[in-house]
Amino acid sequence: MGKVLLAGRLAARDLRHRPGQAVLLLLAITAATAVLTLGLALNGVTSQPYRQTRAATSGPDIVAQLGGPAAAGPHGPGQGSAEPQVAGQVKALVRAPGVTGHSGPYPVASALLRVRGLSAGVEAEGRGQAPSSLEQPEVTAGRWVRPGGVVLERTFAEALGVGVGDRVTLNSRPYAVAGIAVTAAEPPYPNLCYVSGGGCVIDLGPQSPVADGMAWVTEPDARALASPAAPLSYFLNLRLKDPAMAPAFAGKHSSTVGFHPAGNAQLIPWQDIAAADGLLVADEQSVLSPGAWLAGLLALATVTVLAGGRMAERTRRVGLLKAVGAAPGLIAVVLLAENLVLALLAAAAGLAIGRLFAPLITKPGAGLVGTPGAPSLTPSIAGLVVAVALAVALAATLAPAIRAARTSTVSALANAARPPRRRAGLIVISARLPAALLLGLRLVARRPRRAVLSAASIAVTATGIVAVLTFHATANFKDSGSSGLGNPVLDRDEQMLMVLTVVLVTLAILNAVCSTWATVQDTRHAAALARALGATGRQVSAGLVAAQLIPALPGALLGVPLGLGLFAAANGGGARATTIPPAWWLAAAVLGTLAAVAALTTVPARIGAGRPAAEILASDTV
Amino acid sequence: MNDNADALVLRARGLCKEYGKGEGLVRAVDGIDLDVAPGETVAVMGPSGCGKSTLLHLLGGLDRPSGGDLWLAGRSLSGLGERALARIRRDAVGFVFQAFHLMDELTAVENVELPALLAGRSPRAARRRAADLLDRVGLADRARFLPPALSGGQRQRVAIARALVSDPLLVLADEPTGNLDSEATLEVLRLFDSLHSAGQTLVVVTHDSRIAATADRLIGMRDGAFVDETRLTGGTTGSLGALAGLEG
Amino acid sequence: MQQEVVLAMLAKEPSHGYELRARLRQALGPLGEAMNDGQVYVTLTRLEKAGLAASEQSAGLPDRPDRKVYALTPVGRQRVAGWLAEVSWPKPDLAEFHLKLIAAAAARLADPLSIVDAQRRELLRRLREVQRAAMAEPGRSAAGLLLEGVVLRLQADLHWLEACERTWTTRKDRS
Repeated sequence: MGKVLLAGRLAARDLRHRPGQAVLLLLAITAATAVLTLGLALNGVTSQPYRQTRAATSGPDIVAQLGGPAAAGPHGPGQGSAEPQVAGQVKALVRAPGVTGHSGPYPVASALLRVRGLSAGVEAEGRGQAPSSLEQPEVTAGRWVRPGGVVLERTFAEALGVGVGDRVTLNSRPYAVAGIAVTAAEPPYPNLCYVSGGGCVIDLGPQSPVADGMAWVTEPDARALASPAAPLSYFLNLRLKDPAMAPAFAGKHSSTVGFHPAGNAQLIPWQDIAAADGLLVADEQSVLSPGAWLAGLLALATVTVLAGGRMAERTRRVGLLKAVGAAPGLIAVVLLAENLVLALLAAAAGLAIGRLFAPLITKPGAGLVGTPGAPSLTPSIAGLVVAVALAVALAATLAPAIRAARTSTVSALANAARPPRRRAGLIVISARLPAALLLGLRLVARRPRRAVLSAASIAVTATGIVAVLTFHATANFKDSGSSGLGNPVLDRDEQMLMVLTVVLVTLAILNAVCSTWATVQDTRHAAALARALGATGRQVSAGLVAAQLIPALPGALLGVPLGLGLFAAANGGGARATTIPPAWWLAAAVLGTLAAVAALTTVPARIGAGRPAAEILASDTV
Repeated sequence: MNDNADALVLRARGLCKEYGKGEGLVRAVDGIDLDVAPGETVAVMGPSGCGKSTLLHLLGGLDRPSGGDLWLAGRSLSGLGERALARIRRDAVGFVFQAFHLMDELTAVENVELPALLAGRSPRAARRRAADLLDRVGLADRARFLPPALSGGQRQRVAIARALVSDPLLVLADEPTGNLDSEATLEVLRLFDSLHSAGQTLVVVTHDSRIAATADRLIGMRDGAFVDETRLTGGTTGSLGALAGLEG
Repeated sequence: MQQEVVLAMLAKEPSHGYELRARLRQALGPLGEAMNDGQVYVTLTRLEKAGLAASEQSAGLPDRPDRKVYALTPVGRQRVAGWLAEVSWPKPDLAEFHLKLIAAAAARLADPLSIVDAQRRELLRRLREVQRAAMAEPGRSAAGLLLEGVVLRLQADLHWLEACERTWTTRKDRS
């Protein structure tokens, strides 16, 4: 027990000794875990709110959409001629084996809704004022249908910007908005027509707008809204003995309703509706998923750089511990303890942030009841996030820790760092360059592994930025088909994109900061010596910037194809189209990254140049 | 003793260096006055922590004093910016450290030529000068050796050669024999002696009495201030033989 | 026991033989065990014969050296002053130098620090000479080896003198 406490004390002391590094590490892992938490929470959202809605509204297991122009029959479209056929279909369906209840058939008219200069198509279902036992939409504002009143589906109302009491016109007739409701029988706006069979129930002909939203009116009002050009169709809701068998039922009985390619009449199992709801979330998932991957990668790279940068210090500490008799097990525990503690803290912080922001992002289509809050943060999600954070910290520190533990005590104490590499060719070349480049080139040459690490982390930074740009390019492209109405889903997609952009760019900046800061730390001694030998502070700073830019250039260039590839891979693995951002965006990204690296190196370099050279020389080893 | 002030290589008046504030105020260097004439070797001795290393750093422009004035070859260092100070470090002052501070990945001659390259001299001129100096310190045959392959005394001689590469007015040495055994110390002593004969001005901080004994002036330092000064001239009161135990 | 040491110990005040012996013992610490007690009385008698010290018999006590009270004569006092100012260093006699400092401090005859300083300067001068000779010797000659030995011993003595300086400074600061 005492040993564990000792390990803890040593770890804590070391963290306090270098708070800056600890904070950077914490921020990096926190960002990654926050994004991961959001992604996982979103994953858990898919079918839950739909289930809630289904429960609240007594949602049907099968929705039969009957009638419509294709079912008009040989006499041509007309209200009267469709009715008998529909009645026959209804009887057949209601009597089918496995059906335990039904509601409807309800008449559905397609109409044109106009409000404040906006116009949209509506499927207006005629309902009774008394609540039904199967498929009763839940009113979330105002009241249920009344004569002259229309109840709008929630997302649709949001898109129109309409509230209870507003005046609208349906087919040029005035109506008042009596209430707002949600239902489980239809996917919410704008996925109304996303059901698997494709197409909507109503085909209003080429002149009419596509039906955009769902509404409810009284039955008489619905019948009144029908016209010879747009005849009524009917919705029949069925309850099955075994809801899980709904798709099979739909497949079996499609012929009953005269399903044929040209027609829109069909049987829709509730699973399809759930899936259509899920599309909303799938879209959001397609934004978060590559984002989470990128965040994880960036975090890993940042942590690796930080961990690798403290090699010399760690080797010496290991030597000291060995010399006083610590067992290899204890040493390993001490070495890893710091990073693991930070990882745990970061995981906790990430989970907290994820929990805070999850409701904003995972607020399901407003057309569903309930918001996932606490339920989405299940213990399994928390456990997974913590495990990932620990794994990231572990992976990044394990290799250096093992190497440090293997080094013999004597060499660990005597020569705390790996000796610098000699590259005679580079030394000769650098002799001909001005002082700043001389220093920069020699600094890069003496620590090739650090240079490779720098290049790698700048590559990851650039990858993140290019991926975000590709994101924006693709999203813009998708957006250009909107109808002028607000599209809450797209809005939310854009919001999430913005959030993700901020997170990824922050991570990218963090990564660059860690990398440049580690480089400046590493070259402290050499820079101080150069100053003692007569280089000015400015020459030394310029040299450090050069030393950082030399590996940063290939890294930044590499980030372009990597970023494009990463986004394409995450964007449905090539199934969806990826738009390559314009060339000048990419050039700006590369140049911007390099400029940021230069700026981020200058600050710590200048600060270091302010310290008296003698102090640094006296305190450090090579 | 009244040298013309302009002829002095180094002149310090009231030099101070403080750290901390209030209760924790530490005066590492407390009101130092020093005159160094051309060609002199001055040794500063004192117990560890007395501030002699700090003083040397101040004299060499590696650190800024908290107070007082400093003139190098008649030119005041007090108001100079960082760039001018760097130029002075480059051209007028050569530093020798206790820990040598050679770059381990550069050969001896590459280490020596480094200040010249930083000063902007052509690679060829710098290389030639470095080779000359290595010859002068007796390491011409080790010019292409890396520091880990050299003994302590040899490394310090390389460092001294590096300090001389820009023909400085003043060489400042901080415990130059601190990390050396007695034979290596003798090597360095010989080198300092030859520099002295050649007229190089040298200020050494040490607690090795062997070095102190070779100086023209020996200054004792304690708690940041000079406490006494000796000129070791004059004969001794005993024969050399007696020193070795021979009855005289 | 050097005559001058005993003389100097008397400089503070006249004392009995046994008192003197006790003070010497105390000043030498553990090394005092090696001191030959009888030597002190022999030296005292010799000093008296040489006229550097004078003795008085305490009333009622037998005529034995350890019961007599000894004091310095003026000639003896002069001798002490001369001895304090001497900087010869014939062979390492640390005990003598150590007692010199203690006696000087106790009798307030001289500042121990200035004694140390003077001795240091002398040794440095010698070191300088020897070093010059050593550097003039080629490579690893036999003579060079001998000179190296002298240098190292002088260095060792100088280190000790520096330690003396530190300790006596602290004692002075404290008193």
